[in-house]
Amino acid sequence: MFIGYLVFAPILIAPVLYRIGRKNEEARDRLAILFAFVELAVSLSLLTMQGAKLTIPYILAYGLTFEADGFRTAYSIVTSIMWAGTSLFAREYFRHEREGLSRYWMFIMLTLGATQGVMLSADFMTTFVFFEILSLTSFTWVIHEETREAIRAAYTYLFIAVIGGLVLFMGLLLLRDTCGTLAFREIFEAAEKARAENTSAGSEILAAGICILFGFGAKAGMFPVHVWLPKAHPVAPSPASALLSGILTKVGIFGILMTAVKVLFESRTFGTVVFVLGLITMFLGALLALFSVNLKRTLACSSMSQIGFILVGIGSAVFINAAGGEEAGEGLALAMSGTVLHMVNHSLLKLVLFMAAGVVVMNLHTLTLDDIRGWGRNKTALKIAFALGGLGISGIPLLNGYISKTMLHEGIVEAILCAREFMPGEQGMIAFLRIAEWIFLISGGFTFAYMLKLFICIFIERNRDDKRQEAYEKESTCMDIWSTAAVCGSSVFMVLLGQPAVMKKLAFFMTGREEIMEFHAFTLTNLKGGLISLAIGGAVYLLIVRKVLLRDGSYVNLWPEKLDLEDLLYRPLLTSWLPGIFGAIAGVFGENLILRPVCRGVLYAATVFGRALSTSMDALIVLLRKTVVRETKVRTLQSEERRSRAAAFRDQTEAALNPIISGFSFALVMTCIGILLILGVLILYI
Amino acid sequence: MDSLFILAPILVPFIGGVSLLLLKFREDRTREIYSEIIVILTSVCVWLALAYGSRDPVHVYSFTDGFSINFRVDGPAMLFAGMISILWPFAMLYAFEYMKDAEHKRSFFGFYVMTYSVTIGVALAADLVTMYVFFEMLTLVTLPLVSHYQNHESAFAGRMYVAYCIGGASLGFVAVVMGTLNGGGVFEYGGSLGNVFAPSLMRIMFLFGFFGFGTKAAVFPLFHWLPQASVAPTPVTALLHAVAVVNSGVYAVIRLAWYAYGPDLMRGSTEQVICTYAAVFTLVFGAVMALRERHFKRRLAYSTVSNLSYMLFGILLMTPEGLLGGLTHMLFHSIIKMVLFLCAGAFMHVTGRAYIYEINGIGRKMPVTFTLYTLSALSLTGIPLFCGFISKWKLLTAGISSGQTVGIVGMAGLIVSAFLCAMYTLNVSIRAFFPMRGSDRSGSGGMKEAGVLMLIPICVFSVVNILFGVYSAPVISFLERIAQGVI
Repeated sequence: MFIGYLVFAPILIAPVLYRIGRKNEEARDRLAILFAFVELAVSLSLLTMQGAKLTIPYILAYGLTFEADGFRTAYSIVTSIMWAGTSLFAREYFRHEREGLSRYWMFIMLTLGATQGVMLSADFMTTFVFFEILSLTSFTWVIHEETREAIRAAYTYLFIAVIGGLVLFMGLLLLRDTCGTLAFREIFEAAEKARAENTSAGSEILAAGICILFGFGAKAGMFPVHVWLPKAHPVAPSPASALLSGILTKVGIFGILMTAVKVLFESRTFGTVVFVLGLITMFLGALLALFSVNLKRTLACSSMSQIGFILVGIGSAVFINAAGGEEAGEGLALAMSGTVLHMVNHSLLKLVLFMAAGVVVMNLHTLTLDDIRGWGRNKTALKIAFALGGLGISGIPLLNGYISKTMLHEGIVEAILCAREFMPGEQGMIAFLRIAEWIFLISGGFTFAYMLKLFICIFIERNRDDKRQEAYEKESTCMDIWSTAAVCGSSVFMVLLGQPAVMKKLAFFMTGREEIMEFHAFTLTNLKGGLISLAIGGAVYLLIVRKVLLRDGSYVNLWPEKLDLEDLLYRPLLTSWLPGIFGAIAGVFGENLILRPVCRGVLYAATVFGRALSTSMDALIVLLRKTVVRETKVRTLQSEERRSRAAAFRDQTEAALNPIISGFSFALVMTCIGILLILGVLILYI
Repeated sequence: MDSLFILAPILVPFIGGVSLLLLKFREDRTREIYSEIIVILTSVCVWLALAYGSRDPVHVYSFTDGFSINFRVDGPAMLFAGMISILWPFAMLYAFEYMKDAEHKRSFFGFYVMTYSVTIGVALAADLVTMYVFFEMLTLVTLPLVSHYQNHESAFAGRMYVAYCIGGASLGFVAVVMGTLNGGGVFEYGGSLGNVFAPSLMRIMFLFGFFGFGTKAAVFPLFHWLPQASVAPTPVTALLHAVAVVNSGVYAVIRLAWYAYGPDLMRGSTEQVICTYAAVFTLVFGAVMALRERHFKRRLAYSTVSNLSYMLFGILLMTPEGLLGGLTHMLFHSIIKMVLFLCAGAFMHVTGRAYIYEINGIGRKMPVTFTLYTLSALSLTGIPLFCGFISKWKLLTAGISSGQTVGIVGMAGLIVSAFLCAMYTLNVSIRAFFPMRGSDRSGSGGMKEAGVLMLIPICVFSVVNILFGVYSAPVISFLERIAQGVI
């Protein structure tokens, strides 16, 4: 009942909002905010009814099923918090914009319903249906501004979403073909059974898992299908960017997590694949963020990097489980808790950070670091909120990012221990995991460095243009009371979730693993990992950001513009390589090179045959005249004349052929070919 | 009595069409009412025939020994004729509005109604020879419609149309003759060949038949006529070159593969593999070409090329699941593609433009048309909640469960093609609804939504699209029974 409300009420209210918005914009905004908070209240009420289920049979052939267990309830609540926060903020953000806002609110609500649908789904088919819906509805957020960049980014977003959805669909069908079910509760046993019965089932399930990973990964922003993310987040309106980054990427992670835990928990290969892709995403995102000179683009790349952290967590959990099984319970609990906690953390962090970026945009209408430099020096509330977010995401102890990152780090350490203990022969694997641990720490350091870069740039440094700085200093209010409530209210979570006791309870609630209660956040080893990371970050900031990326006092992007996977590979593949290949094949086998020549050839052959026949008749007559009949004189053609006749003949044939080929007789010739072929075949066979 | 039931849906529109050609109407309105009455009457006749018509072949006329016209009602006939009979009256409504200012209305409506008769003839044919006869007639009767505008372009398209279709049908004729000689004349589920004297020869005959009849289904390399034929008026492209004519190509392949030669003969043979790869190639190729095409209707025509091969792919897998996938896609694609073409036609009719780059911002002027266009585009891509999803799902499942390499390759092809489909259809929607800021939107000032007669069919089919997408169990179980050979 409550689940049904969470999923379908927003979808139903969306068109109503659209209609209202046509007449009264104030009423629309109020209603939307009210509705977002009601949604939050309802999802909080799920806490009291754990294990609630909802089944809607017959729809979409399999029916839809929903369930609210710990993890899903928690994520349903996070979703609602995100929506409540951004709706509150959007009121002021869009104050000066009139066109297309009803559309924005309508699609916000549609996406809310679909996101709840994914988060509460109890089988992959339901997940998939709502996943596709939210892919398409969130498209309008990206294209909202309708600028050239927005449209380009929106195309990228849409096409990656579509291809991801289709590949995901293929994976799900493969999975269903092998296991016979897609329900989360049953699929683990079904997969076990299928593996036991059929030797090839294992590889089929793995193939399905890879397809699903690709599909959900496309939404999560996983390498190599991350290309949309750094482009789409900056161009979307800030409240929407917060949702795109905070929740929609988590939808992808949700799917990957479900696949990992419910289907391929025993598969080391899958674990390794996720782990490696996670590492690449994590490092690449952090690197791009470090180079970026655009506030929202930095945050977007940061999202990508944090998604990498989460994927590494999933990868190491699967790896530990596959290698160690029951004996590695503690390590598994660490990796799992790290994953889910970092998901929650990252959602809330990005809520704060993107809303803070939104405050900048709505005041200054620019995002370039050089322009906004020094703007925040006298805006205390925003400064504190941004600092909490920035420090939280960098993993400063006592704030939320620290605990989840430490758990993730411990997860990798446990994976190394597991590898040592259970597969001592594989030195390569152990060495790889050690390198991975360092990449993890370095990426964490990068996180600190780019957040430091942003914070110092906006809130501490002075603008190079003194007049501008003066103007910035004059205005001290930058947002109204509602926006302040949204930004500061959501930054409270950074501190709240920084408490180990709260985090451990949350982790236990979400994963159901009791071992996590034994975890101590502030032991020396745990602190060491965090501090190494922070030290690296400080060094990177001082040595790279200040020395290399800051030229003549202005921030420059040294990342080569051409180095873009989309422009180098994906777009040419679709716009020129594929059509080229198919065009070539079509050219060779198609009309111009096969059909027409064949018809022409047949016509020529027929003419030549007829000509040869008549010439031989002529020759016969000549022969007869010369021998038997004995006529006195026979005039034969002179060679000159013969040649000109041959030329004339050729011209005539050409002239006769052209209209034939393009006309009705072409069809008749096709018939002839058919019949000739038949004759040939008949002669051969009979 | 039996023959009356089954002949009525063929004779009524035929006579009606001839009378439309002969009679002179002072008022256009009278002609419209008259032709709509004929079409609705025909549809009623079709439903009566499907309900009460004979399940055994009804002998109608013998030309000579072994060459006679027979009709019957069975599963595929029910699907095809039923589908046509629902689409035709609505397309007719659309045609009234679309052709309001056109010339030569007499010949247009006359042949348009006559085509109905011939298509039903193809659907109800009980043996290869009958089907072949109507198949040839279909080409001839639609030729005046293709070259309706009587300009250079349409004359060229008409010539091409005839050349390909007659040529193709004559290739098919070879297969028809050989099939009939080997006892495979009368259609029966699972094939009706007797003791085949040389199976490998028959397989080669099937190859001819496939490419011959496949010409109408625009299979590579004989697809070229279809994009050309989009110069015809939109009611023709929408109903005939997205549904009736091209689906009769697919239908003929179903009849040939499943009801005459039989899947047992073909399963696992090289010829089957050749045919299936041709279909797989076409379904990707069509999508690629559609993506490159700038002309709105030609783009949709290439999309039809691609989608027809989805059906052929399913049918050629030679498994009941594959046939189910093919039939499902035949039904759902018809609905979707009708809407797409009708929307394209509405756009062209209202604005007088034809190219995709001219669409910028029209979505705000014609919200209903382009919203419904977008829904159908999503459906064609295979997004859940719409019926295209169901058919794509059935096809993909069939591809997996067939256990053939070509099935897996086909699956990959389907995914790529669906992706490209999203690109080429949604590109239009994006241009319509999200024109680039500051782009040239002049000249669209006075434009408004298309007329109500045009919107009725679009709305009706869009509703059907969503309805079947959400709840398709009865339709699927009906199609399943056809694919299993129960009806």
